[in-house]
Amino acid sequence: MKTPIDVLMATLLVFVTTLAHAALDVFTCSPEWGSLVTELAGPRASIFVATTALQDVHRIQARPSLIAHARTADLVVCTGADLEVGWMPMVRNQAGNERIQAGKPGFLEVASIVPRIEVPASVDRALGDVHPMGNPHIQFGPKQIRLAAGELARRLIRIDPAGEVEYQTRLADFTRRWDAATQRWAREGAPLQGVAVIQHHKNFSYLFEFLGLRQVNSLEPKPGVEPTSAHLRELVENQKSDPVRLIIRASYQSPDASEWLAQHLSVPALMLPATVGGSEGATNLFTLFDDCIHRMLSALK
Amino acid sequence: MRHTLIAAAVALAWVGPAMAQNAELDQIRRDIEDLRGSYEARIKALEDKLKDAEASAAKAQVSAAQAEASAAKAETAASRTDTPAPQAAAPTASQSAFNPAISLILNGTWGRFGNDPTTRITGFAPSGGEVSPGRGASIGESELFLSSSIDPYFRGSLLVALTPDNAVSVEEAYAETTALGQGFTIKAGRFFSGLGYLNAVHAHAWDFVDASLVQRAFLGANYGDDGVQVRWVAPLPVLLQFGAEVGRGREFPGAGGVVRNQNGPESRAFFVKLGGDIGPSSSYQVGASHLQQRSGQNGVAFLDYDDLSGVNNRFSGRQRINGVDMVYKWAPDGNPTYRNFKFAAEWYQRQYDGDFTFDTAGLAATDALAARQSGWYAQAIYQFMPYWRVGGRYDQLSHGTVALNANAARLAPPAFNPKRYSLMVDWNPSEFSRIRLQYSRDLTRQNIATGETIGDNQLFLQYIFSLGAHGAHQF
Ligand SMILES: [Zn+2]
Repeated sequence: MKTPIDVLMATLLVFVTTLAHAALDVFTCSPEWGSLVTELAGPRASIFVATTALQDVHRIQARPSLIAHARTADLVVCTGADLEVGWMPMVRNQAGNERIQAGKPGFLEVASIVPRIEVPASVDRALGDVHPMGNPHIQFGPKQIRLAAGELARRLIRIDPAGEVEYQTRLADFTRRWDAATQRWAREGAPLQGVAVIQHHKNFSYLFEFLGLRQVNSLEPKPGVEPTSAHLRELVENQKSDPVRLIIRASYQSPDASEWLAQHLSVPALMLPATVGGSEGATNLFTLFDDCIHRMLSALK
Repeated sequence: MRHTLIAAAVALAWVGPAMAQNAELDQIRRDIEDLRGSYEARIKALEDKLKDAEASAAKAQVSAAQAEASAAKAETAASRTDTPAPQAAAPTASQSAFNPAISLILNGTWGRFGNDPTTRITGFAPSGGEVSPGRGASIGESELFLSSSIDPYFRGSLLVALTPDNAVSVEEAYAETTALGQGFTIKAGRFFSGLGYLNAVHAHAWDFVDASLVQRAFLGANYGDDGVQVRWVAPLPVLLQFGAEVGRGREFPGAGGVVRNQNGPESRAFFVKLGGDIGPSSSYQVGASHLQQRSGQNGVAFLDYDDLSGVNNRFSGRQRINGVDMVYKWAPDGNPTYRNFKFAAEWYQRQYDGDFTFDTAGLAATDALAARQSGWYAQAIYQFMPYWRVGGRYDQLSHGTVALNANAARLAPPAFNPKRYSLMVDWNPSEFSRIRLQYSRDLTRQNIATGETIGDNQLFLQYIFSLGAHGAHQF
């Protein structure tokens, strides 16, 4: 028979258990890192994602809500390589959170621990808003994601040692599934090998490198500069000597330029999700790759 | 030794890739850790190979011969500059050397005024920081901004303005804490006060060529002080920030920098900000602020209200400024690249309570002064296509009540509400350059003798260029 004391104790127990399992507060700069944290931490983490796949991650503003969420974060996961340089420093300066300052385990910039491609030999803004530390759109590199997962798990364990077993188990499981998926993508994407493409901005360079697509040019005349009609006409000219088969833009980019060019070149213009959430199919890191590969294959049919 | 390790890495990760177990890879990682320090460069090469090995582990069989070839390639790659440094030690930003991040702002204006732009706003004691571009072509203040972490506990910044008349002024020079935690940040030094919305925004990030009338009349271009600021952010999903500042009252808005020679703080400011998102497309911030300052005996040089007496006056007493501010931003799906909209408005009220001495050099007639004046602006900016923005602003000051008591016979505060309408269009070919055209219909002056408003058409052409480190802007 239950006395009110029992009920009270039970309630308290539930409450204390909830508190003890109070989720790790993770702030992620973009949805791919939100997805990776979900894979590795599951219900141990409550995840805030600062941006969406419909937003140009180069041009985010230090919104008040970002400062609020950075204030309580135990861990911040961003891309780094200066991709978030226009807003993340301001968010961290304002938040008053020592756990997410540079050099702390609670601040992870993934690009700093993975190999990057397209690292410019020299940088000058006359060349446009170049990524000085190489291409930061690393979410499309299977190898990069695998490395990121390892480092993320290490950080999670450092910050939340109680969850070590769970993080290790989840990492092993994720890595196994990721490796299998990587193999599958290489197989499924085989017909894309050598296919010449033009992309709007260099959002998909890692994917192209992985699958062996050949990127002929960008719709941007210079990095960070919107397509101009002169540049588009030049691309039409070049088509005669070096024909492309796909024109690809990311989910946050205007379709105008790629559709204009597609019409003039009589090749398909294709939208690919810039990251998780950029299309109906791209619900996590795995389906992001699935969806991109599927979209490219269907467009080429 | 290192060859053994390379061989081990090759053997474990390449020759038997199908079996490459996490345990083995972990073992290599541990070995690498042990060797770190004495074999930095070698380790770099090894780690690169390890990374490649990890990626390839799941792939098809690779022969030992191929592995050797790849290893050699990896070593070559490791020696190239574009190879990332080992993890953890890797730089996280391009300004990774210990030098502070440096950015330089160049700006210049061409101004066309019907009337002398140095004439004061009628009925408002000047703030001493009234900046307005001059007539004809002139460069504005060139700003040099340096900022860096000092150590794990502090961050420092310096903002130096090089004025067109070849003077150098320290606008901001402060250190702030990074390690306090619990939402607290303490800033000490010279800094722009956090009150209001636009006050702490550097001039190069303003949406119009000039500051709003109320900012000019009450606070100067950017009101700042030498002192300490404490900020606290509440642990909530919306931004709730409280701030308090104490300072020596270096700038007494409405005075011109004459301060009492005292040890204690002469100036206190408080502000609170609340902000968040409304769906994915919109965000807002609202704020309230309070500033109070005390001048010493005859501490403040005070130009007159009606611009007629031409004598020197002094004010001793207290000034209080209360304000509310709001900003709202919208972009489709929260992506501002193609189109975005921004609305900002601020309202301030200023109160003077103290003694006013009319004509310090001659008559020196002293009596109580109580003044309560207010002003506000509202502005909207719309980016209708990439690179192009248009904006409109309305400014107004209310003369309010000015009680001069015995001095009322000598000085007559005009019952006049200055106004201004501004329109601007700017072109931003990149994040680092801006070229702006602005037209203002200025109705801030009155012919005291006839009571007529003196209208002025003002036209500005401005450029603002940012060089160097990419600055992070506040909301
Ligand atoms: Zn980019």
